[in-house]
Amino acid sequence: MDSQEGFLTTTVDAVVNWARSNSLMPMPMGLACCAIEMMAFAGPKYDVARFGSEAMRFSPRQADLMIVAGWCSYKMAHAIRRVWDQMADPKWCIAMGACASTGGMHRCYGVVQGIDNFLPVDVYIPGCPPRPEAVIHALMDIQEKIRNDYTISQDARHGQAPAPAAAARPAVLTPEGEQRISPDVLYNQDA
Amino acid sequence: MPDDAPEQRAHETLSFHFTPVEAPLPDQPNPHAQPSTDVPEVVAALQERFGEAVLDVVVYAGEHTVYVEKSRIVEVCRFLKDEQGFTYFSDLGGVDRFTEEDRFEVFYNLVHLTAHRRIRLKVRVDEDDLHVPSVTGVYRAANWNEREVFDMLGLRFDGHPDLRRMYLPEDFAYYPQRKEFPLLGIPGSLPLPPQTPEGALTMDPFAAAHGSTPPKSYDEPESEEA
Repeated sequence: MDSQEGFLTTTVDAVVNWARSNSLMPMPMGLACCAIEMMAFAGPKYDVARFGSEAMRFSPRQADLMIVAGWCSYKMAHAIRRVWDQMADPKWCIAMGACASTGGMHRCYGVVQGIDNFLPVDVYIPGCPPRPEAVIHALMDIQEKIRNDYTISQDARHGQAPAPAAAARPAVLTPEGEQRISPDVLYNQDA
Repeated sequence: MPDDAPEQRAHETLSFHFTPVEAPLPDQPNPHAQPSTDVPEVVAALQERFGEAVLDVVVYAGEHTVYVEKSRIVEVCRFLKDEQGFTYFSDLGGVDRFTEEDRFEVFYNLVHLTAHRRIRLKVRVDEDDLHVPSVTGVYRAANWNEREVFDMLGLRFDGHPDLRRMYLPEDFAYYPQRKEFPLLGIPGSLPLPPQTPEGALTMDPFAAAHGSTPPKSYDEPESEEA
């Protein structure tokens, strides 16, 4: 092989997660004043296009990140859950602002006291409303979560822990025959 | 401040532009009273026309409020609209004065657009007889306001074309703006959506506080539908 032509080894997960984390399409579930800050987050000044998330998708079928911005009433909760169920896997959720995270100042009968009562929230943003930088930070946290936590085999395994990986070189051939090598010897350089 | 501190900048002289204030009304202690709410001639016309049906006239902060008998409210509105020119229906709402004799109150804010006059009508409703004649036949704009009062206080507006709940779900069993309704609601009266697509409704309003976490979609049980 020509020495000028390099090659790179990686895992499918690393490539897929890299692509996913840099092309998150948010579903803007703007319910209240936080939605105004969410618009600023997508606008040219804060320019979330730097992180590949400028394409807000108003159809749940095309989105993989739901940003719930604002207080959520019990009546609206059913619509939000339906939109969430219509989003294709894998999907992530940001609770933006005090109201979406905890109910905030709306401590009353009609407002859900935190959307984590019915949605699996990945990142909570404090603030009333949070500044666009905070939303960008939450997006970067989601990106980090995707790169570190998510593997495409999670969908097939329904969240079960993966089987332990086989050792790359389980055995070596010795004069006495095949002999297993403990992973400590293989992978722990300090040992 | 130390002596070597830089010289403080003098404040720039800012020019403020005040909105001209209307001259206070004679015999009115409130200097902010607007002449538009001072309508003794309309009140006099109402008293002459309806007599006993005008229960009380209150002047507060230069605003005339006319208490009207509940059964005559549609006639009063018709008179004000057709003969006095109050063509613009500004607002309608309900109040729960739970310490007073006739517990509920409905107010009507009407505006005369060309003469710049405003008047407020009030109707008292007893707890045992929650029916109020609807003024939607006179002012169509009252439709949603009356629905809102029905939703929040449970007053029945007789003759309303579509008396449904405005904000809360149709099957909600309570009237939340009544004073006896607990602020945090009644557990189980407003269910949350299911935690999985095919799951049951969440009846606990504080599910997360009680240790429930909605499963991630890859943790959800497999669909029973093929």
